[in-house]
Amino acid sequence: MSTIGCNEFLNSLGDWMEGERPSAALAHVRDCVDCRALAGGLEAIQRTAPALALDDPAPSPRVWSAIRAQLEQEGLIRTGSRGWAQALGSWLDEIFVAVPRPALAGAYLAVLVAVAIAFSSPGGRRVNEARWIDRMETATQPLSAQLASAEQDAVSSLRVSDPSVTASLHQNLAIVDNDIALCEKSVREEPENEVARDYLYDAYQQKADLLAQMTDRGDDGP
Amino acid sequence: MSTQPTLPAPRNWRTAGLLVPGLLLFSVVPASADRLAQHFKVEAHPVVTVHNPNGLVTVRAWTKSEVMVVSNRATDHVVVDAEQTGNRIDVLTRLVSETAAPEDLRADIEISVPEDAELQIHDDSGGVNVSNVLGDMNVETIAAGVDLEDAAGYLTVKTVGGAFQCVRCAGRIEVSSISGNFRFIDVRSYYVRAQTSTGNILYNGEFLPNGTYRLKNYSGVIEVRFSPSDSFDLSATSLKGKVNNQAKLDPPSHHRFLPRFGNALFGSFNSGRASVELNSFNGTINILKRD
Repeated sequence: MSTIGCNEFLNSLGDWMEGERPSAALAHVRDCVDCRALAGGLEAIQRTAPALALDDPAPSPRVWSAIRAQLEQEGLIRTGSRGWAQALGSWLDEIFVAVPRPALAGAYLAVLVAVAIAFSSPGGRRVNEARWIDRMETATQPLSAQLASAEQDAVSSLRVSDPSVTASLHQNLAIVDNDIALCEKSVREEPENEVARDYLYDAYQQKADLLAQMTDRGDDGP
Repeated sequence: MSTQPTLPAPRNWRTAGLLVPGLLLFSVVPASADRLAQHFKVEAHPVVTVHNPNGLVTVRAWTKSEVMVVSNRATDHVVVDAEQTGNRIDVLTRLVSETAAPEDLRADIEISVPEDAELQIHDDSGGVNVSNVLGDMNVETIAAGVDLEDAAGYLTVKTVGGAFQCVRCAGRIEVSSISGNFRFIDVRSYYVRAQTSTGNILYNGEFLPNGTYRLKNYSGVIEVRFSPSDSFDLSATSLKGKVNNQAKLDPPSHHRFLPRFGNALFGSFNSGRASVELNSFNGTINILKRD
């Protein structure tokens, strides 16, 4: 059983990402679905980033600053109010300035929305359902808009000669959209259901990954 | 380090006499289709990268300190390049004609590698077959299926719609897909993490002591087969679906928070030495005795 809480874990997130894994933090991650999802998402980016950096030219780091600023403006993330948010933000900035790759924008968004979904509500599950739904919609609506915009770009730029590949990409995009719709419905019905939120987060991440793959094919051709 | 590309030896006249009428009969074989073999001397732990948008990629281990790349392209609308940089071999299929039909772009590639080779394979459609390679590997596909046999190392596989099968694999396995089905047969791995959305997952292998096995999907069926001698802690949760269990479980030895939502099952089988986590959104989870 964990001896530290979410806030304490989040305050030490920077150390965690540097590889420091004290037993109390390990126990907390084992017990807490939200923190496990967050740490898992960040570790996935950390693992993937170096390989991706080898292949792609670097667009301006301002892309990341712009995304971050927009998310702050839309209330998805906050600055200054909590130590862990700043630590996480600077850690992400470090990663994404080092690996400024458009395909990772989706992953960046997915991680940030996970943070928003999981931790935007101080007091956690004790808050009432209406407040949960309100916060959930505040958190997910801008992300849905971002993903819709990314989807438009990815679909219009897709250049794959093999029709079976194009068909597969479209078919699987529809599957992920359906998963997102089901999870959103489930979360609306049971706002405190942390498992449904976990699945919703995964579905958003899957969509971001898929759009990144489609964008890659638009850039590279067949 | 690299040797010159070698074309296959000319066939003798008798063979040619048999082949020519055959080729005339089966004229669907493109006239320009050809086969090219290339050999590269390598040291221990070579890295082989393959980027083939359409076609079958077959990789086998052999005992030579050499990588052999044999490519069969459907037409001359594509070129298969194989180049060596230090201890790395890069195989790349690229398009050289803008007017080619999709079926003209296919290239099948057979690669023989030392068993400690590390592989990085990208193949959008077609298929990927790897056998007896013990090095780490990363495979990414869109629609292509991935079949691994007797592989080990750190195996990461990502498909969009392609199925994945792993027979007698060991090491660490991480696989993800959106609609691909997964089959783990006679696996001896200490870490398996598999996630698909609509695909089914079948795990019919050993649960090693201190091993971790995490299988997750949205819909579809997760089926796990266990034997009486297995020992694992089980956590199985389907938020909207069913959990069917044939294992006689002891209550969990340590306190845990039971989820308030969905159908969940927790407990230990024998002494609970491995950790098995099965999660589905609205799919069915079956924990069944092995035949």
